[in-house]
Amino acid sequence: MSSNRIMTVSRAMSEAIAQEMRADPNVFVMGEDVGAYGGIFGATSGLLGEFGESRVRDTPISETAFIGAGVGAAMAGMRPIVELMFVDFFGVCMDAIYNLAAKNVYFSGGNCKVPMVIMTGTGGGYSDAGQHSQTLHATFAHLPGLKVVAPSNAYDAKGLMTTAIRDDGPVMFMFHKGLQGLAWMASPEGAATELPEESYVLPFGQAKIVRPGKDVTIVAISMMVHHAMEAAKALEKEGVDAEVIDLRTLVPLDRKTVIQSVKKTGRLIVVDEDYKSYGLTSEIIASVVEENPAYLKSPPRRLAVPDVPIPYSRPMEQYILPDAVDIAAAVRATLGKKAA
Amino acid sequence: MADIAIPKDLWDVGKTPEGIVANWFFTEGGSVAEGATVAEIMVEKSTFDITAPSAGRLHISVPKDGVVKPGAVIGHIDSA
Repeated sequence: MSSNRIMTVSRAMSEAIAQEMRADPNVFVMGEDVGAYGGIFGATSGLLGEFGESRVRDTPISETAFIGAGVGAAMAGMRPIVELMFVDFFGVCMDAIYNLAAKNVYFSGGNCKVPMVIMTGTGGGYSDAGQHSQTLHATFAHLPGLKVVAPSNAYDAKGLMTTAIRDDGPVMFMFHKGLQGLAWMASPEGAATELPEESYVLPFGQAKIVRPGKDVTIVAISMMVHHAMEAAKALEKEGVDAEVIDLRTLVPLDRKTVIQSVKKTGRLIVVDEDYKSYGLTSEIIASVVEENPAYLKSPPRRLAVPDVPIPYSRPMEQYILPDAVDIAAAVRATLGKKAA
Repeated sequence: MADIAIPKDLWDVGKTPEGIVANWFFTEGGSVAEGATVAEIMVEKSTFDITAPSAGRLHISVPKDGVVKPGAVIGHIDSA
């Protein structure tokens, strides 16, 4: 069934949650301002009215308490969706995430499941400073036992959220604030998409080639997919045909699609809004080089946030975040072309 | 034809004179069901859903980011 609705990412998320809550009485939502406010980034809008306070639970400001409670509820047979308002706030609840949620499946010899979704707002670009602007995808992707999802658009967000809720292990659902389609924060064209009304799932670990090309591979995730597409459009005018890959999930990671693409194009740019060192960019490059370094015709390049906290100052923040201009420049450099 | 109007008492214009159309959830000419959420209005940092008064084809008269007041007609529905 096709749909002519153009929905925002936040609406896609709340619709997926509502459909799963209708289908399974064990699914419930918990977090700060998820009730009457509908989630600070709109991910739970409309849920309180339909499902009531027992299944859409506003919590006090204690991530330590409610993320821990989520792990317990999941192990007791519920399917909690817990919102960590900003991923930057993970510090006080990390023990519940990485020592309990991520490890208990292993520690119990597979006897305990932890079917829990932690959804959390990521990303900067709107002058909210260093404790409200990080993406931190790799912090969680680094730790065994967690799946990590970061959609770039509404269609993917709905399908990946449904898959996340039905997954029997803990899933970090990391949504970029600037893609939510909120009235008070501009989002790029393409974040809101046509959205089928019916429920559907998207498998984890399948990257999407959002623009096929033959000259260079640009690998991105979340907000950076939109910057990569903008760069690809600019490069097209210069006769450069870029392939853009949206990873969609970091764990599991679709290395195969990236390797196949680089085998074809021979050139690789990886762009990430997370910190540069020990992150996604090096992981992707290593995956290709481990397979066959001869696939690369020129050194790969990585664009990411330099290893400093995200600045509050707007010019400084804009300077450190990768954008379409930076990506296009990196592509030209890897092709040995002069700046346009 | 049915007008899509912002309810007259949606917000207090004494406190906040104007709002904006934050999002349209269907494209111009798209078919919509009665009661479908077609648009979202932002007033300060609150948002309000606007639903279709009848089924039919959507016609948008105030685009995204357009400034509106309570009672304003922002589009209409042509019965199919």
